Amino acid sequence: MHMADALLSPGVAAGMYAASAVAAGHSIRVLKNKDDENKLPVMAVSAALVFAGQMINYTIPGTGSSGHLCGGMMLSALLGPEAGFLSMIAVLTIQCLFFADGGLMALGANIWNMAFYGCFVGYYLIWRPIMRQEKLDLRLRIVLASILGCVITLQLGALSVCIETTLSGITELPFGTFAGLMLPIHLAIGLVEGLITSAVLLFVYSARPELLSGINEEEKKEGRMSVKGVVAVLAVLTVLVGGGLSLKASANPDGLEWALFGNAEEGYAENMGLDEENFGNSSSVSDAAQAVQDTTSFLPDYSFAGSDSELGTTVSGIVGSGIVALAAVGICLAGGFFRKKKTV
Amino acid sequence: MIEVKNVSYSYDSGNEVLHDISFTAGKGERIGLIGANGAGKSTLMKAMLGLIPFSGAIRLFGTEVRKDTLSEIRSRTGYVLQNSDHQMFMPKVYDDMMFAPRNYGLSEEETEQRIDRVLKQLNIEDLKYRYNHKISGGEKKMASIAVILVMEPELIIMDEPTASLDPRNRRKVINAVNSLDAGRIITSHDLDMIRETCDRVILLNEGRIEADGKAPEILSDKELLERCGLELPLSMQ
Amino acid sequence: MDRIDRAVNDLREMDELASGDSPVHHFSALAKLTVTVVYILTAVSFSPYDASGLLMMVFYPLMIFQITGIPFRTYLYKMRFVLPLVLFVGLFNPLFDRRVMLVLGGLKITGGMISMFTLMIKGMFCLSASFLLAATVRIDDLCAALRKIHMPDMIVTLLLLTYRYVSVLLDEASIMNEAYHLRAPGQKGIHVSAWGSFFGQLLLRSFDRAQELYESMRLRGYRGEFPYARAEKEKGRDFLYAAGWILFFVLCRYVNIPVLLGRLFVR
Repeated sequence: MHMADALLSPGVAAGMYAASAVAAGHSIRVLKNKDDENKLPVMAVSAALVFAGQMINYTIPGTGSSGHLCGGMMLSALLGPEAGFLSMIAVLTIQCLFFADGGLMALGANIWNMAFYGCFVGYYLIWRPIMRQEKLDLRLRIVLASILGCVITLQLGALSVCIETTLSGITELPFGTFAGLMLPIHLAIGLVEGLITSAVLLFVYSARPELLSGINEEEKKEGRMSVKGVVAVLAVLTVLVGGGLSLKASANPDGLEWALFGNAEEGYAENMGLDEENFGNSSSVSDAAQAVQDTTSFLPDYSFAGSDSELGTTVSGIVGSGIVALAAVGICLAGGFFRKKKTV
Repeated sequence: MIEVKNVSYSYDSGNEVLHDISFTAGKGERIGLIGANGAGKSTLMKAMLGLIPFSGAIRLFGTEVRKDTLSEIRSRTGYVLQNSDHQMFMPKVYDDMMFAPRNYGLSEEETEQRIDRVLKQLNIEDLKYRYNHKISGGEKKMASIAVILVMEPELIIMDEPTASLDPRNRRKVINAVNSLDAGRIITSHDLDMIRETCDRVILLNEGRIEADGKAPEILSDKELLERCGLELPLSMQ
Repeated sequence: MDRIDRAVNDLREMDELASGDSPVHHFSALAKLTVTVVYILTAVSFSPYDASGLLMMVFYPLMIFQITGIPFRTYLYKMRFVLPLVLFVGLFNPLFDRRVMLVLGGLKITGGMISMFTLMIKGMFCLSASFLLAATVRIDDLCAALRKIHMPDMIVTLLLLTYRYVSVLLDEASIMNEAYHLRAPGQKGIHVSAWGSFFGQLLLRSFDRAQELYESMRLRGYRGEFPYARAEKEKGRDFLYAAGWILFFVLCRYVNIPVLLGRLFVR
């Protein structure tokens, strides 16, 4: 679900950075207040663990394809939402810098889409309420919370990708169609991730139950909202939204666009990020004229075909671009641009 | 310098790991702590550093190991972990060597001098700016000793310093250890190494001190060693 | 090669590049970070139809590749999974936006074709800028720079420690993965029966490791504040470096240099 820089406008990117910064500031405050002095190494190792864990392929029975675990839910179940959120920031930053997974400018948005929902929404609205349902068997609760958590947080993340891309004006694809393509795919992914995550958490529970947060909670303060209600509503909502949208999408199958997802099953982390981007741009640019006007108003003496004088500008643009390209090639040749990999 | 008095420790589950351990050691004494897996060696070392709560009393350098004295005791003690990857967490060897001095507020100039001195002493100047995850196991072990030495500890505690090293690196570590003046406590199953680096041996068995005496005597007592799950060192066979 | 091993290699390769010794490596991390951010912002803000203006932005990555001697092939190789998909990004635009904007000879160039081109270029440019930042700044210098701009201590330290442990845990996961597949020939991934325990084992051990790591930090005087080196001061040349590039980016953004150049020859 990693977004690339080209998918966002600077304004939206800045907004997402701000939102993520607020959440990070809150998390730091909470952790400092709790004075969990030994949290930092645990957070770092857990973050690294999630990173490594996401590289492991899990075979999905009966399909021949593979899935991966869900970092946000896993971390918040182990560390609590605040520490989990900060750990996810570390994971996403390292992915962005060293593995070109998502862009630097889009980092704020990626943190929001993956870490915020996974940790805060996943924990406070799903994990903790479900853990408090003491009538249910604890194992059942863990499975339920993992799956629901992964599905719902992934849906929210996918929805955010659509919203952010649309707001950025990158896609002319109608929002509904865009979301209708994104959400069902992520519903499937969420289910798989949820199953894997629950398997891991169950194992942890059987071996070292004290590691899971929110399970042995004494603090059952604040008149708990009808938790079952919340869960039920969320569950129904997910099914409705996911199901409804997939119906809509499949009722209107667009071969080309579905084809984009053809390779989605092979390690989605590699492909998915960019599949989304493809969607962002496989859009019908319905209003090109408007865009041209924007361009011309921005760069008054630069425009495309039309009147003779504009044509002149265009021609000089093409010629000039040619010169620039030549200069670039010149620089390449001068320095042996395609030099052999040298041992550093 | 070391006084351990009636120290016991049990896991939460009730399993007793250390039972009424007592011994004393003078300044600069070189002690080998040996025993089979699970005998309580690591636990005893952790207790000395105040990493686990224990019953009884431990005094290092005349100061009792308590929560409020830990900072002082730890600044005078160096602990080399068995797994260097757990010990060194900074990107480069140099950063790791800087870590403790910075925490204790040493000046940067002083620290730089100490770093160079330690690296020279251990003959690993080339490791200074290397990345921790890119150096070999043997280099890592030497570096993790260097990391400890910057603080110029009076007592060095080492957990299995020669585990999984090849003979040449093992030799390097032994030589490095023997070049230090500080008192030392070394745990190991490598009894030949203990024989070369320690004068006194404390043998633990199931949480109790089974024997405490001169290294050559204990390390040549075949019957005693075998009773405690160990074997005569090769050089004694 | 397996994904895990690939990640290990990628990480090491970036480390090696970042420890290079070119003139660019010697500028301060903060200067390079600033230039990268401004570059990406500028590149992204070009209009989708302003292909010729955007073209000028190629000179930044080009110069850095040239000066540092970072092999372009490494970039392409690293981007081998990302780049084709980025190139794919705009591929559908021509199908939807068939408005003819330009007729070149007999060839009709549509808005979709142009916006496809600029999107691909933008994607490549942004990726190369991030890549060049990571390839010319060491993680510890980057963290020091982040501290300088008042990024909270907790996040920066977490980043530093996580970076360190990513390689340790990747190694461990890789060994476990090998061990698994040696005993399970022909399986593509981890079988469902081991979903929980395979990663769970690694997780439990990692938590013990975190405990030891924390002990190791405490034994060396850690009391909640991570000690950083005294911040290295930015020198005049760092300011010049950043200001020079930023000026260039702004110039490219607001003045269409290729058009001006073209005018010298046409008309």
